[in-house]
Amino acid sequence: MQTPLTTTVPVLRLPRGPDGLSRGFAPDGRRALLKPVVPEIPESQESRESQEQRARAALRERYLRSLLAMVGRQVSFTLHEGVHVTAHFGATDLDVANFYVSQLQTPIGVQAEALLRCSDIISYTFKP
Amino acid sequence: MAMRQTPLTCSGHTRPVVDLAFSGITPYGYFLISACKDGKPMLRQGDTGDWIGTFLGHKGAVWGATLNKDATKAATAAADFTAKVWDAVSGDELMTLAHKHIVKTVDFTQDSNCLLTGGQDKLLRIYDLNKPEADPKEISGHTSGIKKALWCSEDKQILSADDKTVRLWDHATMTEVKSLNFNMSVSSMEYIPEGEILVITYGRSIAFHSAVSLDPIKSFEAPATINSASLHPEKEFLVAGGEDFKLYKYDYNSGEELESYKGHFGPIHCVRFSPDGELYASGSEDGTLRLWQTVVGKTYGLWKCVLPEEDSGELAKPKISFPETAEEELEEIASENSDSIYSSTPEVKA
Repeated sequence: MQTPLTTTVPVLRLPRGPDGLSRGFAPDGRRALLKPVVPEIPESQESRESQEQRARAALRERYLRSLLAMVGRQVSFTLHEGVHVTAHFGATDLDVANFYVSQLQTPIGVQAEALLRCSDIISYTFKP
Repeated sequence: MAMRQTPLTCSGHTRPVVDLAFSGITPYGYFLISACKDGKPMLRQGDTGDWIGTFLGHKGAVWGATLNKDATKAATAAADFTAKVWDAVSGDELMTLAHKHIVKTVDFTQDSNCLLTGGQDKLLRIYDLNKPEADPKEISGHTSGIKKALWCSEDKQILSADDKTVRLWDHATMTEVKSLNFNMSVSSMEYIPEGEILVITYGRSIAFHSAVSLDPIKSFEAPATINSASLHPEKEFLVAGGEDFKLYKYDYNSGEELESYKGHFGPIHCVRFSPDGELYASGSEDGTLRLWQTVVGKTYGLWKCVLPEEDSGELAKPKISFPETAEEELEEIASENSDSIYSSTPEVKA
């Protein structure tokens, strides 16, 4: 049996990728014992932090409600390079990374169903 | 029998990988951070490419990323006009440093006490990480956006590159010491402390200068526009990658092209040798990071040289000294995320 002139280097396995569920940094990992020194947070800032937290929560709730209000409506999206498209908003995913839309009017035709990547969207507007 | 290089593809990013950096060698091995236009920089185990975690928080493309020497802290520079400092062990955000424009580059001092930043606002900023609320020291002088800024000469000097110049600054006096002008856009810069060498790429050229005097040492021409190059720690080889999607390996002393590798599906934006020189990592427009062996066929990390008489099945041990040397401990390091739920083998774009 002839051996090939060159073979590729064997590997034990492929590098592990993200698990898609968490942000990683296993809390019981070997390095968990290491903690870099972090500057102490003074007392007065703690209440400011909880105020900020409440404000963030309120804003988030308003945003989520705005998304709910958009369902089924015609929305105009401004994308990169001055591109404008309109579509009927369907839903968004958990991270608001993608918008599921239908009847997407694009410069090259109408797409019955589409997924718009939120990172491609600069702004959007709709009339409730 | 010659062996063909098997690059290890690290997937996970969804947009181009624009910067990457290794930590120093720590008792837990060495680590790799990648900056990506998807805004989610990732930390990986350096010798295997295994994902450890993702730093979540930036609201724009991350243009620069770095780790401190012992990989306890990370810093990132982003298009959301902030630089962030992270706990690289827990993944938590430690500090957000507001800027007035896109931030492109970040670098820790050797003692991790200061952070250097640079970006589109053309200012170099030095932050004291022990006093995060204090205003940074600012150095002005660049006339176009800063692409890369690095500490050098034991943090006594600063090297910075904009579109057409590379400048050397004195840290104590905050003044310019010397500058180099180029008539082509400078694409990357790397500083090698041992030997005080500066690697600069522009057009198809890979140039080596003294980091102390900025005097030229030598330069090579590549077959295509080069975006990044890295010099091996022992200065035997250099690797470079650019617009033709290929990685080139040169003999540093003779300038002879030793190898070229295809594999990426887009231009290569960054290349770096690992701190032990056993592998180099490349980041590309195709959204992947690839790890390449310096010595093809050597048993290291996930690469396993199979000889006819050898038993297979043992996990390869990189040349790093660990506090405990038991086989189980090494398994643990390699599988830091063994508790997380994994989907099936990561998708590999052939």
